[in-house]
Amino acid sequence: MILQRIFALLLLAVCAALAVMAWPYQAAFSYEPVGPRAYPLLMLGLMGLALLYLVVRPTPIARKDDEPELDRATLTKIGLCIALLLVFASTFESLGFILSSILIGVPMARLYGGRWLHSVVIVVAMSLFLYWLFDRVMDVPLPLGLLDVLEN
Amino acid sequence: MDTLSYLGQGFGVALTPYNLVTALSGTLIGTVVGLLPGLGPINGVALLIPIAFALGLPPESALILLAAVYLGCEYGGRISSILLNIPGEASTVMTTLDGYPMARQGLAGVALSLSAWSSFIGAFIATCGMVLFAPLLAKWAIAFGPAEYFVLMVFAIVCLGGMAGDKPLKTFIAALIGLFLSSVGIDANSGVYRFTGDSVHLADGIQFVVLVLGLFSISEILLLLEKTHHGHQAVKATGRMLFNFKEAASVFAVNIRCGLLGFIMGVLPGAGATLASAVAYMTEKRMAGASGTFGKGDKRGLAAPETAIGASCCGALVPMLTLGVPGSGTTAVMIGALTLYNITPGPMLFEQQPDIVWGLIASLFVANIMLVILNIPMIRIFTRILAVPNWALVPVIAIITGIGVYAVHATTFDLFLMVGIGIMGYILRKLDFPLSPILLGFILGGLMEQNLRRALSISNGELGILWSSPISLSVWALTICMLCLPLLRIWRRRSQQRRALADV
Repeated sequence: MILQRIFALLLLAVCAALAVMAWPYQAAFSYEPVGPRAYPLLMLGLMGLALLYLVVRPTPIARKDDEPELDRATLTKIGLCIALLLVFASTFESLGFILSSILIGVPMARLYGGRWLHSVVIVVAMSLFLYWLFDRVMDVPLPLGLLDVLEN
Repeated sequence: MDTLSYLGQGFGVALTPYNLVTALSGTLIGTVVGLLPGLGPINGVALLIPIAFALGLPPESALILLAAVYLGCEYGGRISSILLNIPGEASTVMTTLDGYPMARQGLAGVALSLSAWSSFIGAFIATCGMVLFAPLLAKWAIAFGPAEYFVLMVFAIVCLGGMAGDKPLKTFIAALIGLFLSSVGIDANSGVYRFTGDSVHLADGIQFVVLVLGLFSISEILLLLEKTHHGHQAVKATGRMLFNFKEAASVFAVNIRCGLLGFIMGVLPGAGATLASAVAYMTEKRMAGASGTFGKGDKRGLAAPETAIGASCCGALVPMLTLGVPGSGTTAVMIGALTLYNITPGPMLFEQQPDIVWGLIASLFVANIMLVILNIPMIRIFTRILAVPNWALVPVIAIITGIGVYAVHATTFDLFLMVGIGIMGYILRKLDFPLSPILLGFILGGLMEQNLRRALSISNGELGILWSSPISLSVWALTICMLCLPLLRIWRRRSQQRRALADV
C-alpha cells in the first residue's frame, strides 16, 4: 500500500514536470486549430487525475502463490542484473558483440544458478553461434569491436 | 462470391513454396518461444520484426511469419501448462486446471493432442468468421471519418479497462502512459520537438521495438530472478499420444460453442485470449453441472479454454485488419510491424492490398493445419526443450533482446533506453499494473492524436464534430456502457459483501 502511494506520487510529480515541459510547445506557423501541446497535456491531465485517485485509495496488490516476498538477497540480485545489462549496453560497440555478450553472459548465468564451467561453455558457444546466425546468415549487422583485427 | 475469389487469390499467395517455408519456420519458432518461460507472443513477434526486415522479406511474407509465430506461441504455451502445471502464457492458466490432472492420470499425450485439436477447431471457426465478417466490416469502416476514428480509439482504450475486470484504474493509467509516450519526438504537423530533452536519439520518438522488448523481455528477465523453485519435473508423455474418435466426439459441442464465444471475445478490443479462455471455462463448468469432473481432468475443461484461445487469437486479427485498431498486445505489435513497411492497416487495406490481407487469412488456415500436424509427432522434442534450465536460457534471451534492439537503429542509446524501460516495466509489474495496455496505448496514441487534430481542423476547432454523426454517437454510447461495467461490478461485489455480513 505505502509503496503504491509513493509510486503514484512520484509518477504524479513526473506528470507535473512533463506538463511544465510541454507548456511552451507552440507551433511557429499553424494552419490548424489544435497545436502540438493539447494532446500531451490532455493525456497528462487524465493520468494525473487517475493517479490522484490511486494515492487516495490504493488498490490491493494481488500476489500469486509462487511469488515470494522480496528480500534483500533478491534485491541485490536484481540490482546486479540491471548493472550487467547496463555494462552490456555500454560495451556493446566498443568491445564488440561477441566479447561484450561473453562478458555479461557468464556472470548472468552464474546469477541464475549455473556452475562456472557450464556457464562459460554455454555462453561462449551461444555468443559465437548468435553472431554467426545474425550477422552472417540473417544480415543483421553487429559490431565486431576489438575482434575487428581478426577479420583481416 | 467476391469473397471466395479473393480467398482463392489469398491461397495463391499463401501456398507459394516461399511463403509455405516462412509459415513453417514461423510456427516452429513460435512454438518454441511459447514454450520457454520468459518469452511470450509479444516479445516473440517483436524480436522477429527487425529480422524480417533485415532478411528483406516482402510485406506479405513478413506478416505471414509474424502471424504464424503468434499462433505457434499459443500452441507452445499449452505444453508447459499441461506437463508442468506452469502456464507458458497468461492465457493458458485455465488449461492447467484440467490439463495437468489429465497428464497425471497418464493421459499426457491425449491431453496434448486433444488440446491441439480443440485449438485448431477454434482457430478454424474464427478464420471462417473472419472470412465472412471482415470484408463487411471493412466496407462499413470506409464511412469512418477522423472524428469517428477518434471515438473508436477512445472506445478501444475504455474497453481495455472495462474488460480487464479487477483493476480498471491501473489498466487505465497504463494505457495513458502508453498514449503519452507516443507523443515523444518530433510532431509531424508542426515540427515541434516534444519531450526529447534535446537528444537527437529521441527525435523520431521512442522506437516501438525498444519499448516492447524493454517492457516485456527485460522485465521478465528480472522477474525470473525471483523464482526460487527449480527443477520442476515434467510429467512424462508416454503411452497413447493421439486422442481417439470417441474422445473428440465427446467434446465437439464444447468446441463449437467455445469457438464462437472465443471469436466474439477476440474481435472485441481489449478482451483477448486470457479473458476468453476464462469465460469459456466458467461457462462450460456451469453447463456441465454435477456431471462434470472439472478440475480433476475433465476433457471438456481442457477443450473449452483451448478452443476459446485458438478462436480469439484469430478473432483479434479482425479489428486490426479492418479498422487498424489492435485488439490485443500482440496485434498491436503486428500493426507496428506493418507501419515499418509503410502499410497502414485499415479499411483501405482490403482494396489496395488484397494480396496481403487475403494471403494472411489463407496462411492462417495453412499455419493451423501445420501446427496440428507438427505438434503431435514433435511433442517429445518440445518436452526436451522444457528441460532447459534458466541459467542457460536467461543470458541467451538477454543477448538476443540486445540484438533485436540494436538492429533497429544501430545505436547504443536504444540499448540504454531498453534497460530503463525494462526497470520501469518491472516496477509496474510488481505494483500489479498490466503491461499490454501501455503497448496498445503507444500504438493507438499516434493515430488518436492525428485523427483528433484532423477532425478538429475540419470543424475549425468546434468540438461538436466529435459527436455529430450517428456512428460516433453510437460508439460513444458503447463507450459509456463500458465505463459503467467496472462500476457495476464493484457495486455488485459490495452488495454481496453486505449480504454476507448480514448473514453472519
